Amino acid sequence: MAEKPILIIGGGPAGLEAARSIADLGYQAVLVEKRERLGGTPDEAHYAKLTPDLRDAPKAMQEMIDPVTNNPNVKIHFGSTVTSASGSAGNFDVTIKNSKGSTTENVGAVIVATGFQHFDPGRETQQYGYYEHDDVLTLVDLEKMLTEHKVVRPSNGQPPKSLCFIQCVGSRDRQIGNEYCSKVCCGIASKGAIEVRQLLPDCKVYIFYIDMRMYGYWENEIYWPAQEKYKVNYVKGIVTEVVKKGDGLMIKGEDTTLGRPMEIPMDIVVLSVGMEPSAGTREMAKVFGLQLNKYNFIETTGGPLDTVTTTVEGVYACGASTGPADLEDSVSSAGLAAMKAISLVRKAAQAA
Amino acid sequence: MGSLKSVEPERIREKEHLVQDGMDISGHWNRMFEQRVIWEYTPELIEKVTDVEGAESFGWCYQCAQCVPVCPVNTVGDYAPRRIFRRVQTGMDLFTSPDLWQCTTCANCLRVCPKEVNMMNIMPAVRQEAVLEGNAPQELLDVFQNTFDYGNPLGESPKKRAAWTKKAGVDVPLMKDKKKADILWFVECYPSYHPRGIDASIAMARVLDALNIDYGILGAEEKCSCDSQRIAGEQGLFEEFAEHNIKLLKKYKVKNVVVTDPHALNALRHEYPKLGAKFKTIHYTTYLAPMMDKLDFKKELGYKVTFHDPCYLGRHNGEYEAPRDMLKAIPGVELIEMGRCRENSYCCGGGGGGMWLDGFMADHVTERLSERRVREAVETGADVLVVCCPYEVSRFEDAVKSTGNEGKLLVKDIIELVAEAMELV
Repeated sequence: MAEKPILIIGGGPAGLEAARSIADLGYQAVLVEKRERLGGTPDEAHYAKLTPDLRDAPKAMQEMIDPVTNNPNVKIHFGSTVTSASGSAGNFDVTIKNSKGSTTENVGAVIVATGFQHFDPGRETQQYGYYEHDDVLTLVDLEKMLTEHKVVRPSNGQPPKSLCFIQCVGSRDRQIGNEYCSKVCCGIASKGAIEVRQLLPDCKVYIFYIDMRMYGYWENEIYWPAQEKYKVNYVKGIVTEVVKKGDGLMIKGEDTTLGRPMEIPMDIVVLSVGMEPSAGTREMAKVFGLQLNKYNFIETTGGPLDTVTTTVEGVYACGASTGPADLEDSVSSAGLAAMKAISLVRKAAQAA
Repeated sequence: MGSLKSVEPERIREKEHLVQDGMDISGHWNRMFEQRVIWEYTPELIEKVTDVEGAESFGWCYQCAQCVPVCPVNTVGDYAPRRIFRRVQTGMDLFTSPDLWQCTTCANCLRVCPKEVNMMNIMPAVRQEAVLEGNAPQELLDVFQNTFDYGNPLGESPKKRAAWTKKAGVDVPLMKDKKKADILWFVECYPSYHPRGIDASIAMARVLDALNIDYGILGAEEKCSCDSQRIAGEQGLFEEFAEHNIKLLKKYKVKNVVVTDPHALNALRHEYPKLGAKFKTIHYTTYLAPMMDKLDFKKELGYKVTFHDPCYLGRHNGEYEAPRDMLKAIPGVELIEMGRCRENSYCCGGGGGGMWLDGFMADHVTERLSERRVREAVETGADVLVVCCPYEVSRFEDAVKSTGNEGKLLVKDIIELVAEAMELV
């Protein structure tokens, strides 16, 4: 008996990689994407360049999308969500709904690749005033400006003379409930800092941090060039609050390596917002009965040695649906999820 | 501490509002003379440094602070590369700051720096700019002037550069007369002029004579190698003198040079080749260590000694074994190492222009580096602090006196111990 198709939920980097892997190996993939476009968060949030290699994001994502679209082995449901599921490993019936109605697909395995959402700085316990001050942005807002090659102060339309990133906004915080490190923000802020310096060579750029977490090659690929070549100023000591001063902003914090308070005027403040589970991730956990961890990401069962197997047999999760993940993590875990899902549908077919 | 007079805080008069050098230091005890709040960062002042050719790595510091505990100046003051970086980032102009002149370029920070922030390149480059602007301590400028006028930093007559040889009691051949020799001994300034340097030079001449070495010296033709002047900011003077010395050595077709001064070693080995020099230069300890078994020792010295690694022999040029091999070969010498030895040896304070900045440094440190080092030497229980850099004998002898250790510790060059055991002195 032929192998049943594998359902992939989410058309971002992880979902695309999973779909491509399954199709390349000659198996059938059914891809469900809630938007009318593929590309996931890098596309939806207007990423200008990818971290860490600063590749053009739309171009790089298109290279992931192309092998999946018009692929005879991949069936794509755009503008669709999975609303219910029944059955068990090797034989799931899932209901897929779009604006026109519902359809049902019978699949052998499921890969959840529903990703993350950016932390809403309105929930920040510090006084960063994202919703009060026009010139306080998030990494996402800055990405959009960088895509348009126009970084200006929203308050007056003028290019900033000084811009800073505040790290760990919404991450590593017991009060907020996000005790984890979001893993990518140090790199993305440093990448953004490089891009701002390229665009506005006269703008002083600062990164205020608790500790820089530039693991692996991100250290030498982003952090060091940002400091050494692009003269980005890294200051250890997180900002406690952002207040209005004259026409601009003033950041207040402690410069911890000097042990002195700082009160620095700043034209633009960028909040390095972390990752939280997306609505889709939480919704799919409900639909498939997956256990969530204490932060509402999908729980995986294999510890560090199996990053994709969930508490429900036949359902795998990859990318940032299981916790903060960079692109490297996302595509790697997507490949692993594809492999495990294929293995399952093959065994199911052989047993039938 | 019981004898110290105490003063009630209320009895200290202080200004209610005080702005010092543009810094608002108002507050109780005037905030220990430091502005409390940082009101601006000044990355432009970092870029002013990193824009100077050779000083680029100044901007690479990521504040790991590994340089701090190994910086010899920080032990007696408030210094170290990471601190300088932060001060420049918060308003200090390095080009006009006292921080520019405290570094002895001992290279201990670079040894541990993961980012390879290289003060040995940064300091000379920035100092050169400061010197051109006239922003250098006067005592240093005086030494530059002496070197320029007399060919040596001590301001001694260039004609008398070989005068010490008359006291040697053995023939010290001049290249001018001899024309050709296996070895050119580059004597350098302190060994030619300083009384304690001369003691070591006489010992060296007698040992070379006893070994029947075919060598010559340049005598009055020789000029200062100028390595420390270069590092203190006088690149122009350095190049002029280097060209002079290189020309001489070419004239005498010199292939092998032995130096007594590790600073000269550094110049001749690393800087002179950039200007076309092709000879090989080694320190006298490297030269003599393999010949120790050929020496005719006549007596046991009965000394407990400790050895100070010169920064410019050890960290800068990688020679740690030869001086120790020599010491081990001298009869009746027991070597006790100090805690800070070999790669993490503590600087005597003389390098990078420090030799000529004692007055300036006194305003910035609690005690001289040489004094700190002498205390460490005394703690080992050694009778003799052994050195092999001509800056050190005088620095350490002064420090023995100023730390109240006179009579407890002698300071000797290795070659003096060799000559003593051979009964040549």
